[in-house]
Amino acid sequence: MFLRMIWGALFRQKSKMLMIAFTIALGVSLSTSMLNTMLGVGDKVNQELKAYGANINVVPKEASFLDDIYGVSDQEEKGQNYLNEDELGNIKTIFWAFNIVDFTPYFYAKVKVNDDSKDTRLVGTWFAHHMELQTGEILDTGMIKLKSWWEIEGEWVNDDDDDMIMAGSVFAARNNLKVGDSVELSTPNLKKTVKIKGIFNSGSDEDQYIYSSLKLAQDLEGKKNVVNRIEVSALTTPDNELARRAAQNPLSLTLKEQEVWYCTAYVSSICYQIQEVITDSVAKPIRQVAESEGDILNKTTLLMVLITILSLAGSALGISNLVTAGVMERRMEIGLQKAVGASNTKVIFTILTEIVITGIIGGFVGYFAGIGFTQIIGYRVFGSAIPPAPMVIPIVAVLVFLVTILGSIPAIRYLVNLNPTEVLHGR
Amino acid sequence: MKKRSMYWRMVTASLARRRSRMITALLAIAMGATILSGLVTIYYDIPRQLGKEFRSYGANMIVIPTDSEHKITDEQFEEIKAGIPDGKLVGLAPYIYQNAKINEQPYIVAGTDLEGARKNSPYWLIHGEWPSQPRQVLLGNEIAKAIDLKPGEKFTLSTPKNKNESTQTDFIVAGTVTTGGKEEELIFMSLEDIKSIIGDKGLDVVEASVEAEQAELSQIVENLKQKDAALTPQMVKRVTASQDVVLTKLQSLVWIVTVIVLGIMMICVSTTMMAVVTERRKEIGLKKALGASNESVVSDFLGEGMMLGFAGGLLGSGMGYFFALQVGMSVFARRIHFLPAMIPVTVIVSIIITMIACSIPVSKTVDIEPALVLRGE
Repeated sequence: MFLRMIWGALFRQKSKMLMIAFTIALGVSLSTSMLNTMLGVGDKVNQELKAYGANINVVPKEASFLDDIYGVSDQEEKGQNYLNEDELGNIKTIFWAFNIVDFTPYFYAKVKVNDDSKDTRLVGTWFAHHMELQTGEILDTGMIKLKSWWEIEGEWVNDDDDDMIMAGSVFAARNNLKVGDSVELSTPNLKKTVKIKGIFNSGSDEDQYIYSSLKLAQDLEGKKNVVNRIEVSALTTPDNELARRAAQNPLSLTLKEQEVWYCTAYVSSICYQIQEVITDSVAKPIRQVAESEGDILNKTTLLMVLITILSLAGSALGISNLVTAGVMERRMEIGLQKAVGASNTKVIFTILTEIVITGIIGGFVGYFAGIGFTQIIGYRVFGSAIPPAPMVIPIVAVLVFLVTILGSIPAIRYLVNLNPTEVLHGR
Repeated sequence: MKKRSMYWRMVTASLARRRSRMITALLAIAMGATILSGLVTIYYDIPRQLGKEFRSYGANMIVIPTDSEHKITDEQFEEIKAGIPDGKLVGLAPYIYQNAKINEQPYIVAGTDLEGARKNSPYWLIHGEWPSQPRQVLLGNEIAKAIDLKPGEKFTLSTPKNKNESTQTDFIVAGTVTTGGKEEELIFMSLEDIKSIIGDKGLDVVEASVEAEQAELSQIVENLKQKDAALTPQMVKRVTASQDVVLTKLQSLVWIVTVIVLGIMMICVSTTMMAVVTERRKEIGLKKALGASNESVVSDFLGEGMMLGFAGGLLGSGMGYFFALQVGMSVFARRIHFLPAMIPVTVIVSIIITMIACSIPVSKTVDIEPALVLRGE
């Protein structure tokens, strides 16, 4: 009998119930899509921020950055320290290997171009290096991905071109060079004629240098299997108090904190892990990128959280409003039920069951519509899917349940105090 | 005249008497209006707010002398300053580089406007303090490690005076700076300090952090180039190009989120209104039985809807601004721009939506035989 009443109510009042279900579906789809987007947006924005290039610098212990830029310590050639080229693949074997997006090594050589009196810096690097790791993973990494803002005239050099170079725009302008020109590079070890395959404009000091494949640069300097520096671009978690303390001194942490730190993708813990796999190296976060990334990431996430809260409140209000309206409208029918002897509890129970069933149907439909909306956002904005987070389901379920029940409370209070005769009389 | 006053009496009385139902409807509309005005305000302010946020990546324009033999003079520095529109400038830091020695080890001193450098590079991590007194320096972390100096300690800097002589000057380390880049191997001091040691030779480079998109910035760069051929302004591509990429993404994210939330909320508001109106079929029947024409019934409801929409819209635009303000404060720690145009827009949109939502169920009911409705069918 109970079931028959419920089904009867659901079917006879089709349009009414449909409307409630529809509103619930709308509210749920809104909540689902916003929650999913909110939870997924961090990763996506993090990916986008990789446009800023590397956020970790790996150098040999005791190495200096300065000669890169100001050419000061060039006066005396002291025993240079190098990193091992063989060990580069190890970067992809650390605990947070999955978060390493790209990396590329640099080897610096000093060459004379066309018997110029001054030395020019030649940088040997990977452009789109293909790697097969012991783990079976295949990896393509290098400059092309890391320096997304470079403007290239001509083409990028390939990693196996050993008679091609790329010239910086300042260097090219100074020496009147164009794409396709040949130049002679000479070092005390070697003389070689190479062709300019491309001219790049990077908007920084690099424009004064020449870039070539790693092999060519090493040959020119007569070195094997060494690099000066590695740039790594990694997806990181914004720093918090723990990460800041760890960055200062990892030993100051308790064992437990250390574990948490090591197993979170803080830039400092990734640096620490890189140092573990590359002999005699120092990995430093490039704060300009790392810090700002964290900033923007935090802000975007917070913005999304607030928008989500607003839309959750909006959909909650929308649903509860309609539920109230829906129940109130049926006071005649309920008056009749009471007149023929239904107890208050029974009436309330019937109504709640109806609403919960409607809520479940609406919620079900709404959840999938919401996932659809999430994907629209993902594809429109980031060009890739935002994975639906499982934790959204319970959140939305609890929300709908609470909202529908809370929404029916004022109506139920009214119905309990209802005098059947009055209602049936039409008052 | 009489007719109109009766009309308004009916509309207002109907709103006042059915208070709880009307509050429900008003709440729904106000919520929709809040979301509308709040999100749109945020959407409009995002580029400005985030643009500021992106300045944490540091300088996005550098100016160097065209001829590497020359330096930038103070007049040229003023020119650069004037070339950047007011209110767009976040920080401006001129630099003078000078070789120097501490304990016979070669280092580089960078003299700069410390306040400007601080604004330019919020990502510098300082241990100790920024120099505030003359003869205080900010020491790069690598140097501090190499010669074992801590904030508060004293050291002697020797700078070349002429060929064989050098000047010895005592300095105090105010703090050390960590960046992960070249700054860790520089010694930063104020322009006054460096000029007092080596004299005024002009600036090597000027770094500026300008709150502008790539297009706007390249305009500034062009203008500067035109004005003074002895200066070569450059955009820091890494910062400007990437900012455009990321900012566009974030903006379209907020845009699409706004559209989806608004769309759904508007439908939500309409269904609530429809439910509220559908409830009143009996009233419609009664009015018709008393001889009201279809038009007058519809206009009664539309009048009610309009008032509700107006009140809800007004309430909502206030709450929306409040929400946007809260978002601005908690996310960006800044006030959000108030868009006066949002008030009329929100009110009008609310009125339109409420009226549409009212008219659908009303026009459906209006054709029904009054007798049927009144009997309770």
